[in-house]
Amino acid sequence: MHSNAHNTNQIMRQVVYALALGVGAAYYFFGWGIILQIALAMVTAIVVESVFLSLRKLPVKPAISDGSAILSATLLAISIPSIAPWWIVVLGVAFAIIFGKQLYGGLGNNPFNPAMLGYAFLLISYPLQMTTWAGEFLNLSQAIDVIFNLTSVDALSGATQLDEVKTQLALGKIVSELDVHSISQAWINVGFLLGGLYLIVRKIITWHIPVAFIAGMVFISSMLYFINDQIYLPIQSHLMLGATMLGAFFIATDPVSASTTPKGRLIYGFLIGVLVIVIRVFGGYPEGVAFAVLLMNITVPLIDYYTQPKVFGK
Amino acid sequence: MLRQSFSGGVVIPNPHPVETVEIISAPLPDKVVLPLQQRIGDEAIPCVKVGDKVLTGQVIAKTEDHFCVPIHASISGKVVSIDEQIIPHKSGLKSKCIIIESDGKDQWVKYKGCGTDFLHCDRATMIEYIRSSGIVGLGGAGFPAHAKLEGIQDCHTLIINGTECEPGIMCDDALMQHHPQEIIRGVEILLHICGAQRAIIAVEDDKQEALNSLLMYCHNDRISIEQIPTKYTSGAEKLLIKMLLGIEIPSGRFAIDVGVVCQNVATTKAIFDAVVDNKPLISRIVTVTGSGIESPNNYEVRLGASFEHIVSMSNPNTNQHAIRMGGMMMGVDVETIHLPICKITNCIFVNNIEVKFSTQECIRCGQCNQACPVDLLPQQLYWHAKSGNTDKAMDYNLADCIECRCCDYVCPSHIPLAEYFSFAKALHRKTTEDQYRTDIARERFEFREYRLDRNKRERAEMMAAKKKELKKKMANDKTQKDKIAAAMARIKKTKKASDDA
Ligand code: SF4
Ligand code: SF4
Repeated sequence: MHSNAHNTNQIMRQVVYALALGVGAAYYFFGWGIILQIALAMVTAIVVESVFLSLRKLPVKPAISDGSAILSATLLAISIPSIAPWWIVVLGVAFAIIFGKQLYGGLGNNPFNPAMLGYAFLLISYPLQMTTWAGEFLNLSQAIDVIFNLTSVDALSGATQLDEVKTQLALGKIVSELDVHSISQAWINVGFLLGGLYLIVRKIITWHIPVAFIAGMVFISSMLYFINDQIYLPIQSHLMLGATMLGAFFIATDPVSASTTPKGRLIYGFLIGVLVIVIRVFGGYPEGVAFAVLLMNITVPLIDYYTQPKVFGK
Repeated sequence: MLRQSFSGGVVIPNPHPVETVEIISAPLPDKVVLPLQQRIGDEAIPCVKVGDKVLTGQVIAKTEDHFCVPIHASISGKVVSIDEQIIPHKSGLKSKCIIIESDGKDQWVKYKGCGTDFLHCDRATMIEYIRSSGIVGLGGAGFPAHAKLEGIQDCHTLIINGTECEPGIMCDDALMQHHPQEIIRGVEILLHICGAQRAIIAVEDDKQEALNSLLMYCHNDRISIEQIPTKYTSGAEKLLIKMLLGIEIPSGRFAIDVGVVCQNVATTKAIFDAVVDNKPLISRIVTVTGSGIESPNNYEVRLGASFEHIVSMSNPNTNQHAIRMGGMMMGVDVETIHLPICKITNCIFVNNIEVKFSTQECIRCGQCNQACPVDLLPQQLYWHAKSGNTDKAMDYNLADCIECRCCDYVCPSHIPLAEYFSFAKALHRKTTEDQYRTDIARERFEFREYRLDRNKRERAEMMAAKKKELKKKMANDKTQKDKIAAAMARIKKTKKASDDA
């Protein structure tokens, strides 16, 4: 029936815990970068939120302790390259908290997913830093060096699979000539998938959005693959590359900015899934989760209004 | 067999369970306070004076209104005052009450009903006995029972609600365990009155003893007993009907519109007493429970006795307490324990004062809409109710909210949603009423304008008509004049001619 968590902070905390598996996988393959990014993001979130709330003359403690700022920050930190310079995550989190949340009046009033707003802002403003990914495992001191600009990134970096595939396809290669698999990405996705299932079991989120999200992706990518398997990636590649599972279970399910009716959540999730593929395949950016989520955030009031459940006796 | 459950609702275990459900007879109170204002209808008018001696069961106040039931003395003794007292109502208001001091003898008035072979009585007599014995819905609604039974036509099924309306309350369970026979006979009486084919007694599936004792006495094949899931709000009439019969009563309609009559078990037992003996209803069973109580229990207690009378029997601890009458979900917090027990007092919660969770913002998690038994979207209602946009909230079916507080119970942000909804409903009622008034006023005004205008027009028309008539007359006059002139001329002519001649 209802969730095992009995207050909002518990819900937020459970979500952060559930991220651990995917983050663990990312750590396993790429080392300390992601951990440092998360730490930086959390500190930034707390500082920015406190400053902003005191400026608005509102009590700081309850808002910080609801955990929502920390969760948004963590999601953003996970989404950006683990070797991005420190100011990227700081800027992104600050943008997310201020423009994504506080300016709308704080938690519960924001129409857009704050983490994804921050992500989109970064991607548009700093495309280079946002698409340079770690290529190998970095130990703590290497990671510190890279993030705080002490070494040049190039030595350690690479592009993501989605990036790579997109570039190669643009150069006229066909899918069968490319390596469309990535062990590390697959494991990270599995990590987030398991964490997401945990959230469903604990009734922190409902199954509707993730299932519809994945269904939407499967639907559109199988159609494309069916049309031409030489220029479109197979379904399993789409599912196991990029931020698919993170998006399906953790980002699209952000309750505040998602649809809130059961039927509405199915529509919302499905269309995000479709948009993710459309953006990946036809758009200018290799990853589409952020833009897909933001686009669908706009439609939420409409979806909610037209998907009200049938009321008893009506 | 259950047809279908309803979506939503919450499973809430009894917060203060007891080993065996008993009914303890509370001793006679020294004093009773009987409010003249009942749940529904006008204030009753006393028919006794201060200083009068009264017997138990004697009518001490009544109204002209046939809809209302008379008020009986619940103990024998002397009327010591008739004045304003705090009554158990959420407003904490005072209202006029009759206060009787006990003489300790409990001498009863004489009463006589249909007797145990009640089937020879006709419906009207039975209903009159039910009215004169003062039976109202004991489940909490307090609706006069005779009013519900009068004028019933086309009732095919009678449903006897044996579900405890809220977690923690045990009085109906106790009644079913200890008075099954009276309940079953009461059902037979109701079948007779309603002319229904069959009756279903609904019992929650965690009340095995109650079920067993009813089964033991139920030898009538028109009466069946069914178990329903123990889930909060399954006792709500419309949801119960949906579960048992698969009929969904349209919003804004009532059970009787689909041929169903519902009664609570306690009311059914009271109806049995009323019809067989015409014995006035002067006591009821009340549950005393809560975190401030060592031994929660049920008491059969005289109406008008103070809450304190039975709370003191249940070993309250020495902490500061918050008192709540009715259930933990839909009950009402009251200020004091010195309030009289009424016909609708099914439960008294005595809780240790606890720090409440602080309210946070709605995160639109949707737990509330999963819990809502009538499938509303409380988060959307909340959004619009909070901003005072009641029209929009009405669009989201605010009017169908039964204020059951399931949504509050599951909300992780601890928002008192149902409070917002009840406020928004009141606000909406007021604005629509204001709107109605202004509409009426405007209509009146417009009508006045119209009338004035009409009068003016009519007058103008009248004037015009008159003028026309006058003119016509004048015109006529003119022809007349001409005629006269012609005649004169002729006369002149003839005169002249004769003169000339
Ligand atoms: S349960 Fe509370 S926080 Fe969740 S959507 Fe409903 S009102 Fe909002
Ligand atoms: S109080 Fe109203 S909105 Fe809340 S669960 Fe009950 S019926 Fe639904």
